[in-house]
Amino acid sequence: MTADLEYTPFELMAVAGARELKDGEIVAVGLGLPMIATFLAKRTHAPNIAILFELGVVDPEPIHTGVGLADPRVWYRAKVLSGFVDMLGTVLHKGLVDVGFLGGLETDAYGNLNTTLIGDPKGKFRHFTGSGGGNDVASCARRTVIIIRHEARRLNEAVSFVTSPGYLRGGGDREAAGLRGGPSRVITDKAVFGFDPESKRMRLESIHPGNALEDVLSNMAFQPIVPDDLPVTEPPTAKQVRLIREEIDPEGMYAE
Amino acid sequence: MTKTTTLAEAVASIPSGAQVALSGFAISRCAMAFAHEVIRQGIKGLTVSQCVCAMDADILVGGGSVERIVYGGGSRGRFGQHHCVNRGIEGGTLIAEEHSSLSMAFRHLAGALGLPFIPIRSLRGSDVLKRLQEVAPSEFSYVDDPFTGDKWLVLKPLVPDVAVVQVQVADEEGNAWIMGSRWDNEEQVKASKRAIVITERLVPTDVIRRDPERTVIPGFRVSHVVHLPFAAHPSAVYRVYDYDVDHIRQYADASKTPEGFQKYLDKYVYGAKDHWDYLELIGGMKHLTGLMADPVLGY
Repeated sequence: MTADLEYTPFELMAVAGARELKDGEIVAVGLGLPMIATFLAKRTHAPNIAILFELGVVDPEPIHTGVGLADPRVWYRAKVLSGFVDMLGTVLHKGLVDVGFLGGLETDAYGNLNTTLIGDPKGKFRHFTGSGGGNDVASCARRTVIIIRHEARRLNEAVSFVTSPGYLRGGGDREAAGLRGGPSRVITDKAVFGFDPESKRMRLESIHPGNALEDVLSNMAFQPIVPDDLPVTEPPTAKQVRLIREEIDPEGMYAE
Repeated sequence: MTKTTTLAEAVASIPSGAQVALSGFAISRCAMAFAHEVIRQGIKGLTVSQCVCAMDADILVGGGSVERIVYGGGSRGRFGQHHCVNRGIEGGTLIAEEHSSLSMAFRHLAGALGLPFIPIRSLRGSDVLKRLQEVAPSEFSYVDDPFTGDKWLVLKPLVPDVAVVQVQVADEEGNAWIMGSRWDNEEQVKASKRAIVITERLVPTDVIRRDPERTVIPGFRVSHVVHLPFAAHPSAVYRVYDYDVDHIRQYADASKTPEGFQKYLDKYVYGAKDHWDYLELIGGMKHLTGLMADPVLGY
């Protein structure tokens, strides 16, 4: 290629998300970037992925932007329309969901997510969405991928409310609580993180092209593990960018 | 046996302090006309249970009818937060038992099956569970699996006094079809002591008998059937009508403050003597026709 391919940070994140999915996996998604990542994987290396929404929707093919999962726009051309006991029960709780995508107000050094409140839970606070299916996916999926904006207020040493557990305070804490799985990746608009196998603390895996390490670290409120050898996140290919723009999301309906 | 009646009569069967399961999910199939009538009749002290918080619960909380909400969290998606519920939680005027979607579905399922409790993998290790310990310590416990010895978190079943369900099609006995996703409506109804069905279309029982596999709610569980078009407005009813973007935005703005919300109630709830009056207030037949669902898309 002679000229550098142009892409947005959002497209890069979607591609990084798609890379986390293997063919034949069952994936629990919410709206937005996880949908693009999953559709992209389905159209490239993983055609046999099953996509599910918590309220009982399997493999929809929406053509209009939805305001949320309750919007019939996102159920369009689904293969199954059922309910929570079917999706979150017989699929997720049974242990069949391979990957769940999660987001939230903030996450922390051990991948715990807060979607409930900001402030002091025992004093003055602002209440937001709460769990929905988030806690269930975090508790029952084989692994989860966290998508979050790279801002210091969203990447804290400890979250003010653990709505959806990651590795709790690290080490064997999650297992001791009786939970399987756990977060495998955190994808921000500046970097991709994993988790140290022993301490379960967040560890930098790669930095997106054009970002310096200081830039990544200065926009976090905790210090992640930084390995000596730090690669650059693989950028999207021309085919991936074309698929996102022309086939998966020509209207820009998933872009926030 | 016909159970068809007016909305006012169905609502009057619910005493203050009752436990009510509501059928809405965010902006879909919310029991809005029902909620308006509850507020108009001045019913208070309700416990509301719902998997994912919806506009029916929010307006009931804002209207002062709810003492306790048992729910799995939720928002209106791109239409923002449920301000009345959040304000009630922040100010301590609303007791909130917050769970997750699956915990709520399982609690309704356990109620439907007549089980004493239901084990669940969710909630463990989270602050959601810590918070439940403070708000509702008697709603969960731990047991040892008699087969493996593993320790399990178990939840108490929910058995609401009445489930209120907004459906697309029902007959006069209350045999009802729900089209599209049903979230945990079926479990809610089957967990409850009885159900009030609010239907967009009332059909002869022969229509039900022709496609009985579509029946989600059997009539023998139903105490009242209310035939009322657009009873979920401004929320969506799949394959019947779309949500009303402008009206939801108006509600969202109004509910940001107690004063704004009171004005909304004065205009659309207290300002309407019944649902038909409300439909005129929001723009009547001309406006409603514009919301009708496309038969291919379903919205």
